[in-house]
Amino acid sequence: MDDTSKLLLQRLVRRIPTQMLKATLDKWGRLTVEQRQAMDFTQSKWALTQKLLSVCEENKLTLTHLAELEMIHAMENPNQGMWYTFQLLEPENDAQSVELTQFKQQFKCHLSELLRQMSVKIKKHTDEAVWIRIALGSSFSKPNHLKPTYVVHYLQTPYVFVRNLTSKLKPLLSQALTLATRHQGVKEANLSGRNLTSIRDLLMRQYQQVFPTKYRSPPEEEDQPVLNQHIEKEQGGVAAHRRHMAHQAFGDGMLPQLQSAVYMLDTKFRDPNNRTMTEREETFKCVVKFSSIDLLESLRSCASSGIASAPVTPLLSSIPLKGRNYFVVTDNTPGPSSQGHQTQN
Amino acid sequence: MSRLNPFAKLPGLNTASVLLVESEEHFQQSLAEALVEETSVTVNVRLAKSFPLPIENDESRPRIDLVVFIINLTSELSFQSAEASLKYLEPGYFLGKVCFMVTNARSSSVPAERLDAVRRLAASLHCPLLFAEEQTPQGVTNAAERLLTILKAAAGFVPFTTPLYLSNLTRCTLPPDIDQPSFD
Repeated sequence: MDDTSKLLLQRLVRRIPTQMLKATLDKWGRLTVEQRQAMDFTQSKWALTQKLLSVCEENKLTLTHLAELEMIHAMENPNQGMWYTFQLLEPENDAQSVELTQFKQQFKCHLSELLRQMSVKIKKHTDEAVWIRIALGSSFSKPNHLKPTYVVHYLQTPYVFVRNLTSKLKPLLSQALTLATRHQGVKEANLSGRNLTSIRDLLMRQYQQVFPTKYRSPPEEEDQPVLNQHIEKEQGGVAAHRRHMAHQAFGDGMLPQLQSAVYMLDTKFRDPNNRTMTEREETFKCVVKFSSIDLLESLRSCASSGIASAPVTPLLSSIPLKGRNYFVVTDNTPGPSSQGHQTQN
Repeated sequence: MSRLNPFAKLPGLNTASVLLVESEEHFQQSLAEALVEETSVTVNVRLAKSFPLPIENDESRPRIDLVVFIINLTSELSFQSAEASLKYLEPGYFLGKVCFMVTNARSSSVPAERLDAVRRLAASLHCPLLFAEEQTPQGVTNAAERLLTILKAAAGFVPFTTPLYLSNLTRCTLPPDIDQPSFD
């Protein structure tokens, strides 16, 4: 066991919560039954680390085995870190018939051709996802297992989710991915979030959606209990209308959790009260960022409670429709461009 | 501009009507449910988000004996909405038929100036200012009880009392040093 492996093991034990440690080690399967039974999980993390270190020495486990353990933990907890999305473009004719063994072989082969010092692990998760762990080294140093990049790809879909991507790995990874999945190009899908399952659901449309129609939907059944006859709402109709508008924009089922939405505005400044700024020739550049624990849900409740103006602007409602949360708004695009937004948390 | 008039309609028999105005429409529902529990008089509660009230309800709306503006101190919008709504009331209401109720005043994210602004507003209009706790059922019942006391006086159910006393005796007063910086 060299220093790097020790450091990696220490970090791993520190990161995995104690109640999950036993299950994770069981799944790893590198310890014998006796060794697993000898572990006392009521001990402190430090004592556990020392114990594990000695067991690993005994079994002659190496860095790659520990990387495996880390990968198991990452697959069990997909909602950590920031995930970025890429979209594969222009599939070739045989793109639909790519299967796991072929993909594995091709991907590893293409990556190792490009860079010698690299460690790649590919595993298939239970829900059809292919998880790839890449540890990158420079031409003179060993692969850095402390900061691996994780790539998640669902075979036969054009989406790839990446965590911890370095600028050095990005061109190599996109090349290997396009070749291995039989596509011709890759681009950023402008969607990011902490919750992998949510951004996957958003892109693959696996949530309850609404489809824009020009016809009014039939009035929904009032699911509220019958109010006391002495309580009456003055503006009940308006409130129902607002709820209807919010429903039209965001649906009323569970929404995927997003943490932020970013709008880069590059438009002319428009404000009738501020002549100096409005008359300027050049565009006004600014960034509008919405952030929340559950952004779509809070946008919906803003619209239905009347904090945001009633027909939701296409800018906000296009987050679920287009499946992206990074927008660049310029004057040429149709639709409202520089409106005042209320920020909320 | 149609304004709400305190004396345009006849009062109902043994009936008091209260109008709860809250821009967030969050606390008013639970408060209304607590208010109608009252048995000694029939309490009618009307809920509104802001003024002006829709004209088509003018016929069905009873004579409003008390207008309560609920202001959530954590939101600037709530205060602005209440302030903007005030001009839709006839001056007669300010003779003891308007009161302000502040929620979330204990929240740490509230700037102190906002509470001062609400107090100034209430004091300038000679209206009572109540504080309510909206998070607990206990707080809601308490708030409803205090409102009922004012409502009964405003609707004229308390012998030898008129709403005019309310505006004189229970109005919010400003501490004289409100404009001076505090040293704590």
